[in-house]
Amino acid sequence: MGKSQIKNNIRRLRFNADEMTQQQLADAVGASRQTIIAIEKGNYSPSLELAFRIAHTFSTPLEEVFLYEHIEIIKKKK
Amino acid sequence: MSYREKENIINILSGLLITLIYGWVVLQRHLEGTIDLTTDYKTWGSVFLIFILVSIVARIIIYIIFHIINAIATREQRIPAEDERDKLIKLKATRNSHYIFSSGFVMSVMALAFGMPVYMIFIAFIIVGLISEIVDNGSQIYYYRKGV
Repeated sequence: MGKSQIKNNIRRLRFNADEMTQQQLADAVGASRQTIIAIEKGNYSPSLELAFRIAHTFSTPLEEVFLYEHIEIIKKKK
Repeated sequence: MSYREKENIINILSGLLITLIYGWVVLQRHLEGTIDLTTDYKTWGSVFLIFILVSIVARIIIYIIFHIINAIATREQRIPAEDERDKLIKLKATRNSHYIFSSGFVMSVMALAFGMPVYMIFIAFIIVGLISEIVDNGSQIYYYRKGV
């Protein structure tokens, strides 16, 4: 729950795609506008299938749409 | 506020309203002496069955009224289709609701073992059922707002 480590460039990609609206993207990938908003904000990590559909809509590779931020968790030994 | 959030708030309010009104009517009939809920368990069966029917009919009516008011207020005619996020949220909310109902059921049975009258278990089922429904819809609102 909360912010995930998966970041995305959907907002930028929408802007580059003739300022595509969230609703247009939602219709194109078969999701609700609320889901697109949640993905953009990083509040929801989509399924692999939905992620591929989003990438396909922008005609870009998946790794250009979604990025994984690896955070090292250092455990201090007592 | 999204359609799903509004839908969940309506579900909580309608659940409370239907249970409270029905519970009050049944209690009045018990106090008048028309039915005896302390010893006649067959009556409890009827009370539950009628409650299910009343609940379904009332919810359909409330849902239609909600949809009409929502359509007028937002000018959106179609109900948004359920996608993968909606299904995941529903699943998690159902899990939370089942935890509450199972805990309530175990506590009711424990109370029965400690000498609580049998009719109290039926009352406990209604209360626990209502609480678990509130948890279900409340969880959905929480997941829609905070993320899942």
